[in-house]
Amino acid sequence: MVTGTWRTLALDRTEGGYSVGAWRDFIVQGAAQGAIFAMIALGYSLVYGILRMINFAHGEVFMAGAFGSFFFADAYAKSGLLNRNPVIALAIVTAVAIGVSVGTGVLLERLAYRPLRNAPRLVPLITAIGASLFLQNAFRGFFGPQPYGYPKPEVLAGSITVLGVPVQKVQLLVLVVAVICMAVLQWFVSTTTTGRSMRAVAQDREIASLMGINVDRVIVITFAIGGVLAGIAAVLFSLTFEQVQFTMGFRPGIAAFTAAVLGGIGSIGGAALGGFVIGLLQAVGPPLLLTGFGIPSVFSLRDAFVFLVLVLVLVFRPGGLLGTGEAEKV
Amino acid sequence: MARRWIRIGVPAGIVTIFLALVGLIGGFTDVYLIGDQISFAALMMILPPFVAGLVAAAPRVEGGERLEKRILEAAVAAAIAGAAAGATFALAVVLADWIGDERIRAVFLNVTPQLMEFATFGLATMVGALAVIAVSALAGLLGGVLRVAPASIRRPVTVAVIATLLFGFLQRVIPIALDQLSLERDWLYSSQFHGLTWIGAIVVAAVAAGISFLSTRFGTRLRGSVARIGGSGGPAISPVRLLAGAIALGLLLVAPVLLGSVISEVLGTVMVFALLGIGLNIVVGYAGLLDLGYVFFFALGAYSLALLTGATLNAFGIPPEPAISGSLNFYVAIPIVMVIAAASGLLVGAPVLRLRGDYLALVTLGLGEMVTVLVGSPWLVPLVGGPSGMRGITDAAIGGFGFRDPQRFYYLALAFVGLAAFTSWRLAASRIGRAWTAMREDEQTADAMGISTTRFKLLAFAIGGAIGSLGGALFAVKIGSLTPASFQVIVSIQVLGLVILGGMGSIPGVIVGALVLVGLPGLLREFEEYRFLAYGAAVVAIMVLRPQGLIPNVRRSRELQDEEQAQDEWAKAVEEGETPPDIASATGATT
Amino acid sequence: MSEPAWSTDAVLEVRGLEKHFGGLYALSGLDMEVRPGEIVSVIGPNGAGKSTLFNVITGIYEPDAGDIRYGSVSIVGLRPHQVVKLGIARTFQNVRLFANMTILENAMVGQHCRSKGGVFGSIIRTPGIRAEEERIRERAKEALGFFGKRLSGYRLEQPAFSLSYANRRRLEMARALATDPKLLLLDEPTAGMNPRETLELRDHIVRMRDELGLTVIVIEHDMRVVKGVSDRVIACDYGQKIAEGTYDEVAHDERVVEAYLGTKATT
Repeated sequence: MVTGTWRTLALDRTEGGYSVGAWRDFIVQGAAQGAIFAMIALGYSLVYGILRMINFAHGEVFMAGAFGSFFFADAYAKSGLLNRNPVIALAIVTAVAIGVSVGTGVLLERLAYRPLRNAPRLVPLITAIGASLFLQNAFRGFFGPQPYGYPKPEVLAGSITVLGVPVQKVQLLVLVVAVICMAVLQWFVSTTTTGRSMRAVAQDREIASLMGINVDRVIVITFAIGGVLAGIAAVLFSLTFEQVQFTMGFRPGIAAFTAAVLGGIGSIGGAALGGFVIGLLQAVGPPLLLTGFGIPSVFSLRDAFVFLVLVLVLVFRPGGLLGTGEAEKV
Repeated sequence: MARRWIRIGVPAGIVTIFLALVGLIGGFTDVYLIGDQISFAALMMILPPFVAGLVAAAPRVEGGERLEKRILEAAVAAAIAGAAAGATFALAVVLADWIGDERIRAVFLNVTPQLMEFATFGLATMVGALAVIAVSALAGLLGGVLRVAPASIRRPVTVAVIATLLFGFLQRVIPIALDQLSLERDWLYSSQFHGLTWIGAIVVAAVAAGISFLSTRFGTRLRGSVARIGGSGGPAISPVRLLAGAIALGLLLVAPVLLGSVISEVLGTVMVFALLGIGLNIVVGYAGLLDLGYVFFFALGAYSLALLTGATLNAFGIPPEPAISGSLNFYVAIPIVMVIAAASGLLVGAPVLRLRGDYLALVTLGLGEMVTVLVGSPWLVPLVGGPSGMRGITDAAIGGFGFRDPQRFYYLALAFVGLAAFTSWRLAASRIGRAWTAMREDEQTADAMGISTTRFKLLAFAIGGAIGSLGGALFAVKIGSLTPASFQVIVSIQVLGLVILGGMGSIPGVIVGALVLVGLPGLLREFEEYRFLAYGAAVVAIMVLRPQGLIPNVRRSRELQDEEQAQDEWAKAVEEGETPPDIASATGATT
Repeated sequence: MSEPAWSTDAVLEVRGLEKHFGGLYALSGLDMEVRPGEIVSVIGPNGAGKSTLFNVITGIYEPDAGDIRYGSVSIVGLRPHQVVKLGIARTFQNVRLFANMTILENAMVGQHCRSKGGVFGSIIRTPGIRAEEERIRERAKEALGFFGKRLSGYRLEQPAFSLSYANRRRLEMARALATDPKLLLLDEPTAGMNPRETLELRDHIVRMRDELGLTVIVIEHDMRVVKGVSDRVIACDYGQKIAEGTYDEVAHDERVVEAYLGTKATT
């Protein structure tokens, strides 16, 4: 790996090396991507913190939001509202995405996970895998297998220079929105009564219920918050890649899960950190580490990178980069 | 009361709306099961209210007491639930008509004129809506009556309905078999509508009901009178099950001859998946390790066989010879492939198997996906052909007798399935199987009772991997060429699905699971795109409703404990030399 | 700490054993030894480190300091299954059976470490494997038979979850006996049993020593049982041994009374 990096950096541009500007673009792109991963990762992390289950279908909650918002975005693009008044149009589009994602998440909890509250750990996971497959194919049934082009308002086209670094406007939007969302979430969980209940349930569900906390309600709220973040992430993702399709939830879902574990599953700051790390790794890793070996089209190996990180983290640091690891009770 | 029944009906109506939106109604109005009346679309519309009726008529549990409903009460409840389901759907149809179906179609592709016409029975919208409600109420009523009917009626009727529907679904299979046997088929299947004729349906239903009636009548007596055979070695097998097994085996043996090469093609795929299922069953069902990356072994088997037996690359601009290339005979290569797979299983398993269940699942998923990405990446073109894959794979010929032909391939695959099933069965019934079960039940206790859990996890992984690679190798023989498209994560999920559907740990279950999940959608091409929808729904439903094996059934445990107390008294009485009390009355006394 | 003197006739010797979880010292320098054919009771208030002691001996936890010798070899660092193979079997405080396996199968699992059938032999089912399987079955039945009719006969084929609480405890002991141990560790064997069952079990523990020739260490709260079975009693508190001797000696030890009552004895 080190030699690969060294060789890459030693390459001249004419030999297929990258310019400083290219590296800068990779980093900005990675950060923006990572911000989206971080928002999805929070959905995994919050649910895991409270239920100790991996909501494998969270990627589909994200996908549902993207699809829901698409039809509104598309209609506004056709009616011209998207360019005439992008703020209002995007606000409505985002609200729809949030609504659909929250609805999907909460329904999932109610119908598939709640009956399994006390089942052995693997049962909800298998259920979640089934639910993920079901949701993907339900959306395929609703809207067909083809990808749809997601409209982008003209204001977001092109790039601007921030502190001397050229940044695409969409990427800037993604970063700003993500940071705001995470700050709000942090505030919510640490100061509001509901947030306190969530933390209490995460600590010990039984005791929390004895203390008069409505555990079911807290769990629903957790899924809803995950849905809100997934919905916002869905709009940002769609604006970035300008495309929606029923399979779009899977890979970002895995990347986000990896991010959640990397940062220490159950922690908000961890999910943010993990998201950015994964985003950067995905954008910068392949060209930096592999180009030097003369491997063709390194970006096709981008996802393999994420999976490799997933495997390495789970095997060597299941508690996350910062965490100490979760001890199993004897 | 009525509100409760409506609350059961409305979700059922929403399910109908869902089925309509994904296209399972509008797209199937001319797939007939019986005559030209009962189409698959009609079934989809009737089923939710029918189930609502079943549920509404179920006994109410109040304060731990089951309150059975009288027939009249059940009928009313079921009819109201059914009507509510119908009304919900009808409301959606009216609404759609009011908005204009072409506008909805811009979003939901399946709101077609065909659907709209069918959902109103071709009548004016309002009249049609009323008709939908009436038909749904009737369906609910039937469900409710069936629910409260005595078992002697309920069981034959249920069997008859299921058998008739099955015959209806198998409209591409059974007629071919009848033709092969030179039997008359036109009375059974309509040549115009492809489904069963009404006469055929009645005959099938009557025969099924008769068999069911007779088997409950005499089956119990037969089972009771014949002592369990098998003695001390291995699990006891009842003669009834032996007979059923023999019939199933016979059918498996003659299937391709009866069904021709088109269906044999599908059955060949079924056998490949059965093989994968048997392998994964060892890992998931026996050892309790959730492996989501089983496609790893499938791909490994396929590609290593291709390389060992000398396939060529499909890529342009480079020599067709892969970087590694052997020229072995298929039967020489197979053991090597399996050893490679088992060794990779050990290699991959060693670092990851100490992880906790859910993390293990995700790690294996990651490993599987890495293989998918690598196999398709331009990087490995010189070895495995990259996106365009390989071709010219051996047809496993024995002295010029090749197995690419679907019918021949089926027998080759069946032989391997038999071998794998036998291996798996023997292992399950051995000390090794016991160690796996103990480990699945409680890993730490198994360790404390002398089982090296690491060793047995690795063993399960290696054996499961070897069988999976066999599946891959056979798949390569079947197709004759390989592309990365065949090695996606969905394969892992699919195999897991059939293991779960078959009831984890059961080998016949795996084969039935493969037939249902791989075979049925393959036989009915129209359903191809709904296969995974059904998979997902089935997995969720099984986990929520009947997760046998994974969660011990609490209620049953309590019942058995009551019995246990009675038996304790019985044993005590015997020890003290008294006349033992009647167990049944003692149980009655303790409850 | 000075080099401990290892006595030669002990089955099990524990020297300076320490185990802490974070800041909590579950064991802090525990010493004890058990001689062949003895029944030793370990008593002490909740949280005295008794179960931790069992977990460390059987290899579930690794000690932070100290040594455990079984015969003359140190067993520190061995995995639980290796410890069983050496001849130390145990039961758990909260009964841990393989709930969905039958009663016979549960006991047969105990024989796992005394058999060695491999993959290929099991598939072909060689005569050797058949004989071994038969032997495992017989040995398991024999272990179950130790509890009379309670775990025998028609019950062999019933799933373990169907058993009553007392029978679950008995099955757990039978499973431990089926591992052919020399030393048996029983963790609160009478917890949850009614007085009659408790008395019956007391006799069983004595029989384990007299008829099976086992050495037994038992953690127990019921003083009637402790009194009835013990050749020696060891009292622990805060992860240390506070008293040792016959039942009467320990029961009247000031520190033991204090540990149980939480105040200084005033009599």
